[in-house]
Amino acid sequence: MIDGPFLAIETSCDETAAAVIEKRVVRSSIVASQADLHTPYGGVVPEIAARHHLGTVNLVVAQALAQAGFELSDMRAIAVTQRPGLIGALLVGVSTAKALAYAVGCPLVCVDHLLGHICASWLEPIALDPPFVSLIASGGHTRLDLVRDLAHPETLGQTIDDAAGEALDKGARLLGLGYPGGPALERLSRGGDPTAHAFPVALGGRRTRDFSFAGVKTSLLYVVRREGDLSDGRRADLASSYQEAIVAPLAARLLDAAREHRVPAIALGGGVAANGRLRELVSEGAAQAGLRVAMPEIALCTDNAAMIGAAAQFTEPVAWPDFLAMDAMPTAPPGGIAA
Amino acid sequence: MLTFALDTSTQSPSLAITRNDRVVGELWLGPDPDAGRRVLEAGHHLLCATGIGLSQLERIVVGVGPGGFTGLRIGLATAHALGQALACPVVGAISLEALALGIAETVDPGVIVLPAHDARRAELFAAAYRVGPDGGLEQIIGPVAIPAALLAGKLAGQLRDGVRVVSAGTGAIVGRDALEAVGIEIAPDGSGAHRLRAAALVERVAAGAGCDPSPRYARLPDAKVNLLRATRGGT
Ligand SMILES: [Zn+2]
Repeated sequence: MIDGPFLAIETSCDETAAAVIEKRVVRSSIVASQADLHTPYGGVVPEIAARHHLGTVNLVVAQALAQAGFELSDMRAIAVTQRPGLIGALLVGVSTAKALAYAVGCPLVCVDHLLGHICASWLEPIALDPPFVSLIASGGHTRLDLVRDLAHPETLGQTIDDAAGEALDKGARLLGLGYPGGPALERLSRGGDPTAHAFPVALGGRRTRDFSFAGVKTSLLYVVRREGDLSDGRRADLASSYQEAIVAPLAARLLDAAREHRVPAIALGGGVAANGRLRELVSEGAAQAGLRVAMPEIALCTDNAAMIGAAAQFTEPVAWPDFLAMDAMPTAPPGGIAA
Repeated sequence: MLTFALDTSTQSPSLAITRNDRVVGELWLGPDPDAGRRVLEAGHHLLCATGIGLSQLERIVVGVGPGGFTGLRIGLATAHALGQALACPVVGAISLEALALGIAETVDPGVIVLPAHDARRAELFAAAYRVGPDGGLEQIIGPVAIPAALLAGKLAGQLRDGVRVVSAGTGAIVGRDALEAVGIEIAPDGSGAHRLRAAALVERVAAGAGCDPSPRYARLPDAKVNLLRATRGGT
């Protein structure tokens, strides 16, 4: 574990974030979201994201330090998201972190973004310790991990096509909602009947714990094409049924995995963990099964740097100046998580 | 003043350490599309080789482009983070002006120098400057992203009037046919004029041509171009 306060930086997608962490405590966590910049494009544009990170990262770092009441020279390490993500975006964070660590004279910790999501619940005040089963669902990722050791999560399943958040966004678009559509879809679904339409089950095969959302999305596309102009009630029913087809399997697989591996707790992470229906299904199931549920506040579920700081506590730091040879990497390693 | 200068706008990033505008040490990387990623590592070697401690640096000078977007961002992110950590000023200089200074050294006053990087997509990142009697640069074109033939056309009048125009850089090499067709001279292969020196960025700053240390992309993101076209109803 890093001895003393350290800075964490995250720039893998469309949030520019910095945090100061000390042991398991978040001293500060600043997130500058670019979401509005990408709205006109219906998705994150890598070149626009990278440009915006460059103009923002130093300000966000300065704010995180000021809010925590530290100077850069107090930092005992600099942690940064190294992979996976948009390469141009990652390179801004990694170049910044390397130069900061080089100038401060401290080690650099190259963190896997997904380990960050898994470790978010380890932070105070939730302070969840292994063993637990983790579900990470976001616009870029959907995965289930058995966590007996935070340094080495064991992959149980992942999506074989779209990510859950991507599927929610695409569904929202088919129903005429804007981008990012997940939250709008959830609002619309509140007035609808989740059993009104039978979508295919979003599972990547009976034998595995993988997920598949492409079929659900295609099914909605056909319904919308076939039915043409939808009444408000029908749209709400479809939104509700579609959302259910995506989040119910997530909750079910998470609860099943906890039962099968006899762990006392489950954890949610990623932007889709903000989905109220998913939270409801997971809470109900966990209460019945007597499981502890770790659901970090929304700001710790969506991309942030505090979680990168948490994962840094389980990642080997690279000494000064050896880290100068470190580089950003767009893809996840085989197995899904570098730790 | 002890200055650390870097430019990652090309595939041959350049670093220099200068003291009171005299070069203490300099080096180049590449040519390699990913060379920018090693710029800080190279900076460490340069500091070690010159025996200068990082904490002694009083100023960071960084090339702001135009040039390859990713390389440019790595250099700027590195410069800004060093400036932030060392609490020293970060000053920008136009990368093409640094390249122009190298060409200007090989010609007489009154000649037009045309520094150009290969911008791919059949375009050059280029600018044109008239060399002043004191070796100063008077901007005539750019910096812009432009097809070589179009750039050549903009200088045809000057050439007809008998003005020499000399180009260098990777853009001069890829655009050779179009440039030479109107009489623009290309610096000889292997000439130092093709090489952007980070130390020349410091010279530009000393000449009062320092600028805001933010990137000069010279191109909008493709997605933005497409969106603008769509909203204008064009193709
Ligand atoms: Zn994420």
